[in-house]
Amino acid sequence: MKKIALLTLCLGLAAGPARAEIDWESKGMQIAGEILANPAAFLYEFQQDLEGTTPLPPGKRYGFQTGLWGGALPTIGIMPSISGKFRLHGEGRLSPGLPQLDLIGGYWNSPLAGMAADQSDDITDTKFNGHYYGFLLSSSVSPKVRTFWGFKKSQLKAKISFAPTADIELLGTPVNDIDTGFEDSFFVVGLESPKGLNKLWSIQLNYGMDTQTIASKVSWYGKYFELGLNIYPEGVFVVHPVWNFHLNF
Amino acid sequence: MKKIALILTLTALAAGRLSAATAESSKIFTPFFDMTLAENGYMPSEGNIFSGGNINTQVGLLAKITEKDQVFGLYNFNYGGPGFAPQDTKQFTDRTLTHGFNFEYRRSLGGHWRVRPGISLSKDYTRSGANETWDQGLYNTESKGFQLAVDYSFDAARNGFVTAQFLTRNIEFPNYTDLFQEFMNPSVTSELSGGQQDQRLTQVSLRPNWNKFFGGVTYTMQKYKNQKVVGATGDTAEKQEDTTTTLDFGFHHKLWIFELYPVIAYSVHDSNQNYIRYKSIGDVSPYFMADNYSYKELSFSVPLDLNITSKWAVGGAMSVVKRNYESRLRRDKFNNYVAGEKQENTMTTLTGSIRKRINDVAMVRLSYSLVVASSNNEFEQYMPYNYTGNSFGIAYQLSY
Repeated sequence: MKKIALLTLCLGLAAGPARAEIDWESKGMQIAGEILANPAAFLYEFQQDLEGTTPLPPGKRYGFQTGLWGGALPTIGIMPSISGKFRLHGEGRLSPGLPQLDLIGGYWNSPLAGMAADQSDDITDTKFNGHYYGFLLSSSVSPKVRTFWGFKKSQLKAKISFAPTADIELLGTPVNDIDTGFEDSFFVVGLESPKGLNKLWSIQLNYGMDTQTIASKVSWYGKYFELGLNIYPEGVFVVHPVWNFHLNF
Repeated sequence: MKKIALILTLTALAAGRLSAATAESSKIFTPFFDMTLAENGYMPSEGNIFSGGNINTQVGLLAKITEKDQVFGLYNFNYGGPGFAPQDTKQFTDRTLTHGFNFEYRRSLGGHWRVRPGISLSKDYTRSGANETWDQGLYNTESKGFQLAVDYSFDAARNGFVTAQFLTRNIEFPNYTDLFQEFMNPSVTSELSGGQQDQRLTQVSLRPNWNKFFGGVTYTMQKYKNQKVVGATGDTAEKQEDTTTTLDFGFHHKLWIFELYPVIAYSVHDSNQNYIRYKSIGDVSPYFMADNYSYKELSFSVPLDLNITSKWAVGGAMSVVKRNYESRLRRDKFNNYVAGEKQENTMTTLTGSIRKRINDVAMVRLSYSLVVASSNNEFEQYMPYNYTGNSFGIAYQLSY
């Protein structure tokens, strides 16, 4: 630890000459611009936080998951979700070497949407929900390593309809509604390795084939919880800490 | 030019990976998986803070048909995000996305020889900001081609072998258009000024490996299909042709707790392309710079890890990239060429890191880097040449 502390100190000293003044206002405007340029893609990052895209542990036939925290949001309250996994084929059951096949899917719906419509006279209708479905194939390549690859189709919908009396304008143009969404087909590939009894570690890549959306997920998961670090290198908030609850049977 | 450097790198990487995968003798199918994920925060002395990541994922399968015949397929996904880069290569905010497919047939001939013919397809996307569309990147490319490699094994006990390889790629830039030509000749349609970067890349290399020492010589030739060499009074009939010769050497050895894996490379890039500098749109006496793109480049990297325990290591690394242009003169801050003084760029990176081995196949690394970029070119309106920068990052590597 002494060496690490010394190294950290040396690096801190070296950092001095290169320190620049950070323009937070400019950075904030850049972030706001990126959100406005594609709000649906920004919101979809939070959906990816709660999607269950790791295979069922060996021996388990089905499982459920719900998101507790994603990025900077308590997803359990803002985007309550239910995800499921169902094993169609256990690895090597039908034929030696034939991979495990899991069906995956999930749905979420935000209560904020309904609350906004109920409490505002200017908003007549809102929708803020999403779903995903797909499959995962997983195959053991050694006692300590399992690779998985698969496909998922994801969709997000966000819509706000305004009352005619609301008189909403955007850059001088009357706006009746804001209807945005995200939809893409993803290729999923990853690798899983045990960390201990009932504890697993995985790293995976999710790639959206139409929109070139990239997501990398590093996850640690046990019997009940999954802790993750989702990285969206082209996203607005690049790193999302993730906390999900799951049960597998 | 930045795109060409990327193509050369990726071509070499793909070729290296193909020969790296080996079959386990007892298996018909041997999977190959390698994923590196890095995310960094950057703080340059010029400009604002930014973040950028790198993701490289390789998924392959080696199928053993008979004892002598194998087939290997490899998919390579590479994402390169914003980051510091040597001068004249890319801007901080540039990002790239690559999908590469390689299929290779391997045939053993006797005890020492092996031939590996193969085909390659790749699609590259580029963009300079998150608000741009990947599909419309000016430097997007589509590449296809084939390669033939021959391996000669001379010391099986110490993994001694020599690989000779020939590869060729047909590279097209479907979105590229010469905006300047369009501006100067409004009557010319964009289609006529497109395809200027389309080229055929041919590469031959000879690479020996022995006892974790490696090196080689690589000769690359790029023949442009449409791009004309610009002369002092406009385009000439001659087409652009670039060559790059690279010598490199490195090793990866452990001694007690020390793990050292240095690499040194020396490149000579020769291009027949020239350059005309217009200081403004209405510049009636532009400056002609002959042989603008030829250079010699020396790069070396010396990483050293101290394996404190079986799980933990602290590391340090120094890397230097130094480019000297053959003819290009340096510019002052008013965009005037300075007679008799050729442009020289140097970029030095000092890195300190802490590495933890998670298990047999995975590791995580926290790192800090100090970058010092210097150049005698003082014209920095479009690209920084002289700056210092800090970066902090986390990287995961998983390899099977």
